[in-house]
Amino acid sequence: MKLELSRSLRLKLIGIVLLTTLAALLVALVAIIGYDLRSYHQSWISDVSTQAELLGQTTATAIAFDDPKVAKENIELLRLRPHVQAAAIYTARGALFATYRRPGEQGTFPKLPEADGMRIDGRNMVLYKRIVSGGEMLGTVYLRTDYEFYGRMLDYLGIALVVTIVAMLVALLMSTQLQRIVTGPILAIAGIAREVVEQGDFSRRAEKLSDDEVGVLVDSFNGMLAEIERRTGELEISNVELGREVAERSRAEQEILRLNAGLEDRVRERTAQLESANRELEAFSFSVSHDLRAPLRHIDGYAHMLQEDAAGQLDDGTRRYLDMIRDSARRMGTLIDELLAFSRLGRQSLERTAIDMNLLVEHTLHEVGGGRAGDARLRIAPLPPIHGDRMLLKQVWINLLSNAFKYSAKRGDAARVEVSGERDGAVARYRVHDNGVGFDMRYVDKLFGVFQRLHSQDEFEGTGVGLAIVQRIVSRHGGNVRAEGELGRGATFIFELPIAQAQATEDSA
Amino acid sequence: MNFQQVEILLVEDSSADAEMTLRTLKKRGIANSVEWVRDGVEAIDYLFCQETYAGRDNGLPKLVLLDLKMPRMDGLQVLERMKSDVRTRKVPVVMMTSSREEGDLIASYELGVNSYVVKPVDFDEFAVTVAQVGMYWLIANQAPG
Repeated sequence: MKLELSRSLRLKLIGIVLLTTLAALLVALVAIIGYDLRSYHQSWISDVSTQAELLGQTTATAIAFDDPKVAKENIELLRLRPHVQAAAIYTARGALFATYRRPGEQGTFPKLPEADGMRIDGRNMVLYKRIVSGGEMLGTVYLRTDYEFYGRMLDYLGIALVVTIVAMLVALLMSTQLQRIVTGPILAIAGIAREVVEQGDFSRRAEKLSDDEVGVLVDSFNGMLAEIERRTGELEISNVELGREVAERSRAEQEILRLNAGLEDRVRERTAQLESANRELEAFSFSVSHDLRAPLRHIDGYAHMLQEDAAGQLDDGTRRYLDMIRDSARRMGTLIDELLAFSRLGRQSLERTAIDMNLLVEHTLHEVGGGRAGDARLRIAPLPPIHGDRMLLKQVWINLLSNAFKYSAKRGDAARVEVSGERDGAVARYRVHDNGVGFDMRYVDKLFGVFQRLHSQDEFEGTGVGLAIVQRIVSRHGGNVRAEGELGRGATFIFELPIAQAQATEDSA
Repeated sequence: MNFQQVEILLVEDSSADAEMTLRTLKKRGIANSVEWVRDGVEAIDYLFCQETYAGRDNGLPKLVLLDLKMPRMDGLQVLERMKSDVRTRKVPVVMMTSSREEGDLIASYELGVNSYVVKPVDFDEFAVTVAQVGMYWLIANQAPG
């Protein structure tokens, strides 16, 4: 590629120089040779014409006097002019009057003279010239001379050939040397350009060897390279930046994935731990409750046996002690039972069915000692139906109603327990109100805690688990429970249960 | 040996519970003859007349009162052995336990228990329960011949 390029460029340049030289040389040679030949021709013609004129003048008298001897002498003088081959004088009538032949020259003379004129005949020139004297035509001069035009031309051609060859050789030599001035810088640029393309190295620069157009080209080329290098550099920097950002982002994504996985693992782990802890706690509370029952039963049993077997030997004080022992043991048993029930609540699953709440409340009343459906103290308003676990919701009513009867019992016939409810959008609300001892709203938070009581055991029996059970059941149904009360004026317990989607559509249908 | 038929086999690891049960049954005049063993292994030995009871020839009890949680062999295992053996299958078994655990209840019924009673803490209630169980199974209930 480089070779071809440089060769072609050099050859073209050399070719141009040679062609130009040749053209100039040819033009010059043709002009010079043409001019020389023309002037030779004209001077030759003029020379020969003068000769003929002179010959005619000198022989005119001899013709007039018909003296061939004199004419012969005159014509013989032509031997001084070696290029004259032959000459003749014709009389006016056209007869040969005198002749001359160059020594060694053969050939004949034309029989009759021709009209005035000149004729070139091969390497000879033939000229006729009338001899006129005093307006009278006396005769004709005939001259035949060497005409060296072609020989001269051949000489010129030979010279021209030699000159051309020499000149072309010189031009070749010079242009071969001098073309480097022009092609050198261009080839240098070409080389740099080729290297840049092949190696992608934009830091290369062409050397400026001259201040001409090639110099401008070098400057432009270098400027372009610098620009490309700058842009390539910027591109590379931005590529590197981009790559770094991509790597950064992918690392961040990996990190997020890892964290997420870790988080999920931890959530799973914690959930498992919580579930396990919950199970253990319930198993623990169950087994503790369970194992506590046996000794309590024994305490109560032996106290009872003592009462029976030693009845006659005991005074009132001792009997009271034994009663207290048995009371305590039994209360502890109740506490444990309720604790067990509460613990069970967290484990068993809900079995939802459609429940007529009014019916459920009526059934509940059979188990609650405090009242009956026909009891004057009790008022039951229509209640919205609900989907829920019948057994658990029954426990809610048992606990709330037995509380209501218990805490309003001291009012005797004036005691009132009211059960009401309504549907409120997607929620069914139920209310148990009593006009009993009520409670101080400051302690409302403690109402639903396990073993939390607002009244002493002596005042009202109870374990403090009932409302905790209520809250647990209601929240397991997705509902909530709250209490409102005033000391000495009564209390209202309100629980709300969400109406399941299925039930809502059934009801509205 | 004692040729009198044992009416009740009491399987109970707690001597206190055993004493309270025995006292109640005796006081109420429900059972004249109660055999008390302290765990499941003894109960099986007694029922199948093996080991320490190898020479026993006074037949099967009319009722087995079985505690649930016992060392060596628990009540469920004894129940399973009894109900899977043709000789003891017809003997009524009442599970008497402190456990209200649903799993125990279901397991007992699946193994063919005849009754499942939770022992009350209150001795009065306990006595009533024991008396009712004894009365029912020994007197009211008609056992196959």
